[in-house]
Amino acid sequence: MSLCVLDEENFHLCCQLLLQLSEQLGDGWSWEGGQSLLGSRNITDGSDPAQGSQEGYLRKTALRSVVIDSSSVWDYEGGWSDTSCQSQSEQQEGEQEQAAVDASADTNSIKGDLEEQDEDDGVCVVSAGSSQLLQYEYHILHSCSYSTPVLYFRTCTQEGRSLSLEEVWSSVHPNYRLRLQSSPLNTITLQEHPLLGQPFFMLHPCRTEEFMRPVLQAAQDQHRSVNYVLSWLSVVGPMVGLDVPLKYSTLLHPAAPSPAEILPPCTEAASST
Amino acid sequence: MADDKDVLRDVWFGRIPTCFLLNQDEVTEREAEPYYLLLPRVSYLTLVTDKVKKHFHKVIRTEDAEEMWFEYEGTPLKWHYPIGVLFDLHASNTVLPWSITVHFKNFPDRDLLHCPSHSVIEAHFMSSIKEADALKHKSQVVNDMQKKDHKQLWMGLQNDKFDQFWAMNRKLMEYPTEDGGFRFIPFRIYQTMSDRPFIQKQYRPVSPEGNVHTLGDLMKAMYPVALSNEGEPKRFQVVIHGIEPLLETPLQWLSEHLSHPDNFLHICVIPVPSD
Repeated sequence: MSLCVLDEENFHLCCQLLLQLSEQLGDGWSWEGGQSLLGSRNITDGSDPAQGSQEGYLRKTALRSVVIDSSSVWDYEGGWSDTSCQSQSEQQEGEQEQAAVDASADTNSIKGDLEEQDEDDGVCVVSAGSSQLLQYEYHILHSCSYSTPVLYFRTCTQEGRSLSLEEVWSSVHPNYRLRLQSSPLNTITLQEHPLLGQPFFMLHPCRTEEFMRPVLQAAQDQHRSVNYVLSWLSVVGPMVGLDVPLKYSTLLHPAAPSPAEILPPCTEAASST
Repeated sequence: MADDKDVLRDVWFGRIPTCFLLNQDEVTEREAEPYYLLLPRVSYLTLVTDKVKKHFHKVIRTEDAEEMWFEYEGTPLKWHYPIGVLFDLHASNTVLPWSITVHFKNFPDRDLLHCPSHSVIEAHFMSSIKEADALKHKSQVVNDMQKKDHKQLWMGLQNDKFDQFWAMNRKLMEYPTEDGGFRFIPFRIYQTMSDRPFIQKQYRPVSPEGNVHTLGDLMKAMYPVALSNEGEPKRFQVVIHGIEPLLETPLQWLSEHLSHPDNFLHICVIPVPSD
């Protein structure tokens, strides 16, 4: 049971490791707020309640080209309902759904690239929504109530307009919507950021233990170490368009020694491509 | 024990006399009269102001009206905070009635959460209850409840039904006697001196050595600035439901009796009023 619990100290250790990997990969994560992860614990002058603790969060921004599928509408009471598209025939709508399912093989593209769907099935998909360039900001915080990491994010258009909850739901890939919908707590909700006090979307953490347990158990059985935050992020991130490159895990567990270890450290070998 | 039950009632039925005024910049077809209402301390602004909306919709052009939001002296009021917390934090040392400005335009979506329907308030309320139970009982009590039990808690709050609410809420206030209290106390400390919205951490009601933690112990651990040193003049008030409980009060007792319906102890640290 304590396997799935991530206390604040271990959260910081996981974040530290993730940051180091991110730096190597140029993945753009940074640590914000409170004190630096590597800073001293004991400085308190009492003026800011957050001082003296290491409270802070991981942060990353990203630009995404997103198609907001307005053929399905998120309704607060009942979930999804498909509004019939005025501009498309029923058949085209069916093909669009099918193409979306086919495209799910690439979980990182959230209907962002129409050409890709063309390749898959030869159907020219005219989505009911329009493609927009959106600025995303992702934060990873620690929940002391659930002892898990929590993902907060916000997104706005290039003109600075914040997206509504309906629009955010509409930009989630249909395959993920089903999974998120089954949680009674409408898993993506608008919440106040616990450290900044501003509205952010949040992926509710109460189910985290459920999906992390088998991961952590398997790792324990195989005597492997697991970065809780990284494993968790690789599950929840893609649901909201956050890429977690596979390279993270190969950096953690290199299968083979790197070239630098094999070759003698002389200038000719070091400049090999 | 009879006294303790009275405390529960006093907390539940606390009211704040409020005067709602329409923002001067709103375009009206005729003069907008202020609207007076007694607001329940333990409820939420968007849950109890349907009448306010109705009243002002009579004088503004409803085609132009967007989501209603509230502001006090330039500060947008967060509907997801209990009303009593908003009052204690922003207006406790001012003359009653509390004057709130009503807006129907320019919703500040960098500051406020949207509240399109009552179901959003219900989701927020239930989410707080679940989070509180995660801290108190590792979610065991709330997960053992059925959907209709959860509904009873919400309906009790929505319809101002003390008995209906507490018939279910008492389960969330139980704990194994040998433990001496909850696992952790659900609390949030609010202040207006910094941008940080609140402080919330894990804190036990009883130390591993068996010492009962008090309100003073909590403040010392979480926000020592709020406490004054010996001989120094008091700079801050530690306020719960509009009163300053003695710092020696056991935290477990406070959690059981002075929590809001969402099962959290909401504590406001405000500067002592300068005369």
